[in-house]
Amino acid sequence: MADDSTGALTEATENAALDDALTAEHTAVWGYGVVGAALDPTAQGTASAAETAHRDLRDRVVALLTERGADPAQAEGAYALPFPVLSAVDAAALAVELEDGVAAAWVRVLDQAVESSTRELAVTALGEAEVRAVSWRTAAGRTPVTTPFPGLPAS
Amino acid sequence: MHPTAAPPSRGFSRRTLLVASSVGVAVLAAGCTSSPDEREQVTGRQADELAAQVGVQEALVAAYTAAGAAEPALAAEVADLAAQAGEQLDRLRAAAPGATSSAPASDAPPAGGARAWLRGQVAAAATSHATACVGQSGARAALLGSIAAGLRGQDGRLA
Repeated sequence: MADDSTGALTEATENAALDDALTAEHTAVWGYGVVGAALDPTAQGTASAAETAHRDLRDRVVALLTERGADPAQAEGAYALPFPVLSAVDAAALAVELEDGVAAAWVRVLDQAVESSTRELAVTALGEAEVRAVSWRTAAGRTPVTTPFPGLPAS
Repeated sequence: MHPTAAPPSRGFSRRTLLVASSVGVAVLAAGCTSSPDEREQVTGRQADELAAQVGVQEALVAAYTAAGAAEPALAAEVADLAAQAGEQLDRLRAAAPGATSSAPASDAPPAGGARAWLRGQVAAAATSHATACVGQSGARAALLGSIAAGLRGQDGRLA
């Protein structure tokens, strides 16, 4: 991740963090397929919109890393679920996990980035992830539905 | 795709989903709460801008108080949001120890419109932190970005 000898921020640290964010976005795209399948038809539009947002972001990061000559992370064929998704509440809880995972990855990008344009991308992605997470926490019956520090570990 | 069909080595939460929840971010959190990040130089402009965001957050905390005073029912409803805004302020102050406290603007919500007014204050603070985040780096950028996102979430709940 960071330059091991100095801990300094470089384009390499930024690209590595972006690649981790890409991995999280791949996971979110896959995971929202599971989320949507477990929701009532009337609620599937929300999951579909979220999946589209993550797909667009994924494509943007792939293009950015490719442009820099990096080798973007590939999506896996499947991912193990953290818990069975058997109901709409389970689906919402999974969506919370997806958005929280993405948020952590984008905070990491903010921490490691050297380009302001990358930070702009990251802070936008982070904010959008948290807005979706609030909606899913509500659907999952979580309280509180907001968090003061999305993406940062509890201190 | 059936969950059990997935390779066990691809742990959803450990290996892929929470890729960033590792040592690096733990260090990041410590950097946000204790000492200044030493990985990169902090310019005077960056220090000044971070200190300015303390003032933005102070004004937001004051806005929660003002909205609650104007509409007591709203105060109870948003007590958790107000508390989170206070936590954010504490963390910002810790990251910008040189920031001096300034008296927040004594703006008051319009009669009968405290909720919409408060939502506007939250959204404005979120935008301010997000904009400032872009000009920072390292742990300070991460902290400001995270707080901005948290306020975006508050804005969504107040909608």
